[in-house]
Amino acid sequence: MAGERVETFVQSYGRLEQEVHKVIVGHDEIVDQVLVALFAGGHVLLEGVPGLGKTLLVRTLAGCLDLSFSRIQFTPDLMPADIIGTNIIVEDADGRRHFQFERGPVFAHILLADEVNRATPKTQSALLEAMQESSATVAGVTHRLPPPFFVLATQNPIEMEGTYPLPEAQLDRFLFKLRVRYPALEQLNEIIDRTTSVSEPTVQQVMTGSEALAARDLVREVPIAAHVRQFAATLVMATHPQWEEAPDITRRYIRYGASPRAAQALVLGAKVLALRAGRFAVSIDDVKSIALPVLRHRVILNFEGEAEGIDADRLLTEVLEAVDASSREGKEVFLR
Amino acid sequence: MAHGAGLGLTITRLTRLIRQRRALYYGVRGLVWGLCLAIIAVALRAMIGPWALPLAGALGAGGALLGILYGVLLRVPPVDALGLADRAFDLKDRLATAHDLLGRADRSGLADAAIADAETHAAQVTLGRAVPWRWPRELKILPAPVLALAVLPYLPPIPVPDVSMPSFTPAAEEEKKPEAAGPQQALERPAPKKTEKVERVEMQDRDYQTRPNPESREHTKGDLAAAFKDTNVATKRPDFSSFLKQGDDRIRLLERVDSLPDLQRDFTQSQYKVMFRKSRSLLSGMDPRQMTPEKLRQLLEEMNRMGRRPGSGSGGEGDWGQEMMEGAEALDRGQMDKAMEAMERALQKMRAQDERDRGGKGLQGGKDRGRGRDGERGTGRPGEDEPDFGDGQGSLPGKGTNPGWKGDPTQRLGQNPFDIGVEGQMRKGRRESYDTNMLGKGAQNPSRLPSMSVVTQYRKMMEEALAKEAIPLDYRSQVRDYFQALEDR
Repeated sequence: MAGERVETFVQSYGRLEQEVHKVIVGHDEIVDQVLVALFAGGHVLLEGVPGLGKTLLVRTLAGCLDLSFSRIQFTPDLMPADIIGTNIIVEDADGRRHFQFERGPVFAHILLADEVNRATPKTQSALLEAMQESSATVAGVTHRLPPPFFVLATQNPIEMEGTYPLPEAQLDRFLFKLRVRYPALEQLNEIIDRTTSVSEPTVQQVMTGSEALAARDLVREVPIAAHVRQFAATLVMATHPQWEEAPDITRRYIRYGASPRAAQALVLGAKVLALRAGRFAVSIDDVKSIALPVLRHRVILNFEGEAEGIDADRLLTEVLEAVDASSREGKEVFLR
Repeated sequence: MAHGAGLGLTITRLTRLIRQRRALYYGVRGLVWGLCLAIIAVALRAMIGPWALPLAGALGAGGALLGILYGVLLRVPPVDALGLADRAFDLKDRLATAHDLLGRADRSGLADAAIADAETHAAQVTLGRAVPWRWPRELKILPAPVLALAVLPYLPPIPVPDVSMPSFTPAAEEEKKPEAAGPQQALERPAPKKTEKVERVEMQDRDYQTRPNPESREHTKGDLAAAFKDTNVATKRPDFSSFLKQGDDRIRLLERVDSLPDLQRDFTQSQYKVMFRKSRSLLSGMDPRQMTPEKLRQLLEEMNRMGRRPGSGSGGEGDWGQEMMEGAEALDRGQMDKAMEAMERALQKMRAQDERDRGGKGLQGGKDRGRGRDGERGTGRPGEDEPDFGDGQGSLPGKGTNPGWKGDPTQRLGQNPFDIGVEGQMRKGRRESYDTNMLGKGAQNPSRLPSMSVVTQYRKMMEEALAKEAIPLDYRSQVRDYFQALEDR
């Protein structure tokens, strides 16, 4: 029974990934991690220069799933009500007037928050409740968002003028932060071929919302051994310079480490990776492979790190190696 | 629900494999160290005796056995053993996770599936490859002790030095011991050779006795230091190289008996010196100007007692009884200054007597034999035809030449044992001195120098002169004695 469920998950995952790649050329890692976030129940922040297909990826993913899709172009004059919705006065057939909640674009299964850092913090914060609680409260009334609710936000790391960098509280609500790289030459040629011909590729719905939700439930059932959980917790703690066993590089360059949400994200992402691989339990390698997207936006560099232009990925790679080395240390049977 | 029987079997097999590897690993280590100890045992077989080789074998075997035991008894955590297999076969922590899940009571279906999956994978792999053989670093040096143990028995044993404490028993007692010991020991011990009785002679003085001087036999017999007791050459024992280069002043002195100081007499115990030491002990660091009448009376009584010694003549320089009486009467009248003057006169006589007793062995005495005639002896005045030493060089502190005679230095310096300065004469020439008495009519005041400074400067000159051999060898010791006497003051 469990094996069949896992097998179904693996097949669904494979079909979805394959369908997305009908449109999206390259970006294998990005597509994979977006799907992992989708099944883990988290949200994704995509960072990349314009024109790399971020929006197309989200649109394609929505097209592959039988789910509603909304797109919000964040601008400085965007108001919270423009996202969540507002109460408007409507007149019924009897001529009586009453307030009726007009849902905003947030009420969708898949929400694309394009250039989310261009809106004001007030508007950005309108997403906080939606992302964390999957609900929106207007005029004292809480409205549940339709599950599954999946937010994909994009931001441009270059044009920083007139932008409002996301506050740490909101960044922490994203399961992953993915960096969309420029495609390789072969991929660029493929993009040209696909998008400049008469017939553009189209995608089919390969997964329903209920299947997606079932997959999320399955993900949470995946067991994790104590030593793997310990590794994930140690990795998160290792990003805290105050921790007494933190690596030296953490003490040197990091001001604030990752939150407990990071540990949750590590385990959930690792579970999805285990299931995707057809395994029934999480391994340490799963945790390690998902560590960078989980942690890179959750650590805050100190002045020295900022001044030296330390890249979060490089920093976290060294932290990961340090934790991995310390976890393997002592497991050498001959030294026991 | 999975029961994990297969996983348990896997753990057992892995544990057994790990213990085997560990046993070999630590066994080799123990063997190497045991063989190292065995080398010591074989090398010392002369001391150990016939048990050396069995002991060496036991050490090697014991080391290996201990290592094996340690490796076998070392604990093997199951999670670590399974993790070893996980890493070896890239099982993505399946085995370790399954072991962890087995311990949970509320296992989900996925957990059971994970356990079953782990057992399936464990059955498919060859667990022997999961635990590789590991060799200790000591294996590289294993041939060395083996080779040493193979060669050492054919080599002569290392002689064991006798580490017993040397016997401090006198030779006479050593000779008696065999008699005191039992008859068996006496038989076993070789009879000591009868040695001729050797007269103990100081090594460095042995050669000196090869040239005895019949006139000074009693002085040269035995240690030369005893012969030159209380003279400055007594302590001048040259080392071997110095002796080869410069010889020994004592030998030279012994060869020139006529110029020897009177070794029969101890000038350090002269009446004058006794008085001086007595006064110094009475003052005990006090300023001489603070001398009390009681102490002055003690000094006078001591001088009076010396004046009654046999041999001290009555009247003349050797009799200072008159001064003693004057001093005592002045003390009775409370006239300290007159008592001091009387004592100074007595001291002057005492010193003159002392110089006279030393005969021509004083500073001026070296040449007195040639120039001193009758009453002029001991005056230190050079003869008309003989320039004195240092003539033409002047004398410190001035460096100019002054042929004029400056008086008897002994008299000048010995006026008062409590003097703190030396009065000199104004003369021509450069002068490195400084005047301390600037009051009064300066031209009429005598120049005064701190006596210690003067003595030090003169002593330095003396040393330089001796080093340059400007002074004949015969007079060196007398010159040194003179300066020694000055320092004693």
